[in-house]
Amino acid sequence: MNKLAKIFCAFACILSFQANAELFKASEFTLENGLHCVVVENHKAPVVKSMIWYKVGSIDEAYGKGGLAHLLEHLMFRGTDKVKDGRFNTIMDENGVQSNAFTSYDFTAYHQFADISRLEILLALEADRMRHLNFSDEAFEAEQKIVIQERQQTVENNPNSTFYERLNLLLWGNSPYGQPIGGFTDEIKALSADDMRAFYKKFYAPNNAILVLSGDIDAQTAKPLIEKYFAHLQAEKIERSVPPDSRESYDETLQMALPDVTTVKIEQRFMLPNYNSLQPSFYAYILLAEYLGGGETSELYRNLILKDKTAVAISTSFRYITRGNSIFSITMLPREDTYTSLNNSVELLQKHIHMAMQSFDESKLEYVKRKVLADLVYLQDNPEDAAYMVGYMMANNFTLEQIQKYENGINSVKTQDVQQAYTELMKAPKLSAALLPISFKGGNNE
Amino acid sequence: MSKYKRRQNIYKKLFCLLSLFIVAYLTYPKIVKYFTYLDTDKILAQSSLQNKKFTQKTQEINMDGFSAYLMEEHSVPIVSLDFAFKNAGSAYEDENKQGLTSLLADMLTNGAGENDALAFKDICAEYGIKIGFEASNDYFSGYMITPKQNLPIALKLMQDVLYHPLFDEDYLQLVKQQLLTILQMQNEQPTSILSNKFNENIFAGHPYSRPDLGKSENIPDISTEDLREYMQNKFAKNNLLIGMAGDITAQEAQEMLNTVFAKLNQSADTNGLSKLSLQTNGTEYNVAKKQAQVMTQFAVAGTYRNSIDFYPLYLANYIFGGSGLGSRISSIIREKEGLTYGIYTYLLINDASALLVGSFSSAPENFDRAKNLLLQEWHNMAEKGATQEELAQAKKSLLASYNLRFASTGDISSMLLSMQKFALGKDFLDKRNDYIEAVTLEEVNAAAKKYFRLKPDFVILGNITEEEN
Repeated sequence: MNKLAKIFCAFACILSFQANAELFKASEFTLENGLHCVVVENHKAPVVKSMIWYKVGSIDEAYGKGGLAHLLEHLMFRGTDKVKDGRFNTIMDENGVQSNAFTSYDFTAYHQFADISRLEILLALEADRMRHLNFSDEAFEAEQKIVIQERQQTVENNPNSTFYERLNLLLWGNSPYGQPIGGFTDEIKALSADDMRAFYKKFYAPNNAILVLSGDIDAQTAKPLIEKYFAHLQAEKIERSVPPDSRESYDETLQMALPDVTTVKIEQRFMLPNYNSLQPSFYAYILLAEYLGGGETSELYRNLILKDKTAVAISTSFRYITRGNSIFSITMLPREDTYTSLNNSVELLQKHIHMAMQSFDESKLEYVKRKVLADLVYLQDNPEDAAYMVGYMMANNFTLEQIQKYENGINSVKTQDVQQAYTELMKAPKLSAALLPISFKGGNNE
Repeated sequence: MSKYKRRQNIYKKLFCLLSLFIVAYLTYPKIVKYFTYLDTDKILAQSSLQNKKFTQKTQEINMDGFSAYLMEEHSVPIVSLDFAFKNAGSAYEDENKQGLTSLLADMLTNGAGENDALAFKDICAEYGIKIGFEASNDYFSGYMITPKQNLPIALKLMQDVLYHPLFDEDYLQLVKQQLLTILQMQNEQPTSILSNKFNENIFAGHPYSRPDLGKSENIPDISTEDLREYMQNKFAKNNLLIGMAGDITAQEAQEMLNTVFAKLNQSADTNGLSKLSLQTNGTEYNVAKKQAQVMTQFAVAGTYRNSIDFYPLYLANYIFGGSGLGSRISSIIREKEGLTYGIYTYLLINDASALLVGSFSSAPENFDRAKNLLLQEWHNMAEKGATQEELAQAKKSLLASYNLRFASTGDISSMLLSMQKFALGKDFLDKRNDYIEAVTLEEVNAAAKKYFRLKPDFVILGNITEEEN
C-alpha cells in the first residue's frame, strides 16, 4: 500500500473499516439467557481469538455524560468480587494472553488472543466481569486520569483533531454521533463512579452481548464450555433509545486554519439512511465507493492524480456498519500549487465524479466486483480478522447469514443500482470541509 | 448426680460448640475463598482443552548461491513470500541521496515488464495479489502474498519487478510529490517529530541518525538512473534472505525461488556499517513545541540478539517495562497514579546498534513526577533486580504465548525472515522455549545490574514551548 494512503487513512478514517465478508466456516447459537455466540473455525495453529461485543457505546450516553462508555471500558479491567484490582492483567500476562478493548459509537468490545489451552480462563474472566464488576474509588480516580491522558495523547496532540471534532459536530447536529467517542475533557472530569455503576448495570448483560470465538475450536466443543461459565448469568431488560434519523436537508461548508497543519485537506461527507433502509441496497454503495476512490486504480485516482495532477491523494469510503445513519466520505489532498478554494475543489470533485459515472458500464461493474471480492480469501487465513469482522457486523445487528452471503450481495448488484446509488448520494445532505495551514487564514481567492 | 450430669451436658455442649468453631475456623477461609476468589490455575489444570504445540517444521531450501526457510501450511490456499536484501536499507544510501530507498520502494510497484503502473495494480487488485516493498535502516525488503490459484500470475509480476521495472518518469515525479507531502505531514505528527529527533540525537554521527523516509532537499535530485544503479549494486544473492509459508511443497518452493531470484547478481557491492556504541549519561535533549502532552523517548546501550546477555536482559526488560499493563513501571506510573496512558520499554536491535529503549507521554504538570518515578524504578532494577516470582511469571507468559506467532500465513513467512536477519538458526523454533526456561534469576539480575546501571539519555518533545524558549 502506498505510504501516503496509509497516513491518509490514519487521520481520516478512524472507523472506515472496509467491509469484505464471507467464506469462513462459522456457526452460531444462543444461550437461554440471550448470549449470542458465534464460532469461526480456523485450525491452522492452536490459538483462539475471543471477543465479546456489548451493544452499547457512546451513543447510549445521556447528553453531557460524554466519555462514560469509554471510561467504563477501562474500569472493566479494575476488579470484580472474585478478581481483585490488578489481578486481571496479571492473569492475562502469565497466561501469555494479548488482551485489550475498544469503544465506539455503537458498541464496546473486549478481546483476547491466546493459546487455545487458555480459552476456559478467558471465558471464566469474561463471564465474571459481565455481571460482577466491583472497582474501588481509587481505581476509578486513577482510570479517570488515565483516560484524560489518553485523550491528550491520541486526540489533542494531533493538530488535525480539532477540525475533525468540529466537522462531526456540524455534520450530525444534535445526534449523539456528533460527539467524540471518548467525551470532552470537562465531561470526563465530571463523571462519577456511580454514573459508571448505573450504566454498567443497565447494559452489561448476556442478552446485550455477542461472543465470538475464532480459531482452533468448533461449536460442538465451544458450546458446553461457554455454558459452563455464562449460562447462570441473568438477562437484563435492555431499554435503548433508537438513534434518530439525522437527515435534515443541508448543504454546509466548514473551513478551518490551524497551527501546525502543513497541507490542505478536503473532506466531503454525505449523510445516508441506515444500511437497512438504503435504496437500492448497501451493496451498491460499497461498489460505488470502490469504483470512485478505492485505491490507486480507481476513477478519481486516475483522473485527479494521474491525468489532471490536481491532487496527491484521494480516497472514498462508505461507513455503513452502524446502528445509525450511513456516511459516504471523500477525502482529498489537493496539490498545493493548484489549490484555490474549497468551492473550487468541491466543484472539481463533482465534475470528476459526474464524468466517472457517465462512463460507468457493465464491464466496469464486473471489474469493481472482482476487486472487492478478490481479498475475501484472506479472511480464512487470519482468525483475528475474521473475529473482528463477525463481531463488528453482528454488534450492529447484521445476521450471520447476511455476513456469509456477502459475495452474493455484491454479485447481485446491477449497473443501474450503482447509478441509482449515485443519484441518491447527490441528493443527500452533505458537508464540505477544508482544513488549511494557518498561512491560508482568511481564505484564498474567496 | 444430676448436678454432675448437668455439668457433663454443659461440657458436651461446650465441646460441640468448640468443635463447630474449629471446623468453621478450618473450613471458613475455603468457603470464603470459593465465593471470593476465581482460581484460574485450577481452571487451567482441569480444562479439557490441552496444550498443543504448533508442529510444522522449518525447512531450508538451498539454491545456487542463496537459500530460504520454508514452512508448509496447507490448511488455507494462500502462499506468502517475505524477503530482504541485507546492507541495502536507508542507512546505505549516499549521504546526498537520502530518500532513494523510499522512492525505490514505491517505484517498484509502479509498472514493470509489459504492464504500466495501472495495469500492474489492476492485476494485483483483481487477483488478490499483494506485492510491496519497504526500506528499514539495514534492509530493503519485499513481500508477495497471493491466493494459491493465482501464484503463477504473482510470480510473473515479481519477476518483472526485479528485472524489468519501468521507472516511468511521470510516475517518479508523482511519487516524489507524494513523498514530499508525507515528509511535510510528518511535521504535524508529534510521534514522527519525536522519532526523527530521537534518531538524530541518539545515533548522532552514524547513518542511523538520518530521518526515516528521506530528506526533502535530496529528493528532487534523485533520478531513475540512481534507482537502477542502487538495485544493480545492492540486490544480489549473497545478501538475500527469504522466508516462505503456506500452501506449497518444498519442490514448488524451489521452482518459485528459481523463477524469482535465480537471475540476480551473485554478490552485492555493499559492506556493513561500523557498530555504534552508545554512551549515555542522563542528558536531556529538549525539543520546543507547544502541545497537549510532553512526550519522551529514552535509551541506554543494550545487547545484540546473539550475545549471551540477550535472554537475561530480555527477561529483565520484560519484567521492568516490556510486558504491557502489568509491567513494573506501568503498574506504578499508569495503573496506580494515572500519570500516563502508556509507558513501556523494549530492546531495539539493528545490525549496527543494540539499545534498551523506552517511551511515554504525560501532561506537562505530571511529566516530572512520571520521569522521577521511572528513574527510581530504573535504579531499583539495577540495585535489587527481579524476584523469583516475577521471573517465574515472565517465563510462564513467554512460554504460553509461543503459538501466537503462527496465526496467519503472512506472520509465519515474516517470522522465518527475521529468524535469518538475527541468524537464529533453522532449529530456533524447536529450541526457543528451552532458551527461555534456562535463564536463571542470577543471570537476569546480573544483566539488570549491567544495563540498568547505565543512565538513560532522554529526547523530550514539548516540555518547553517556543515562546518560553
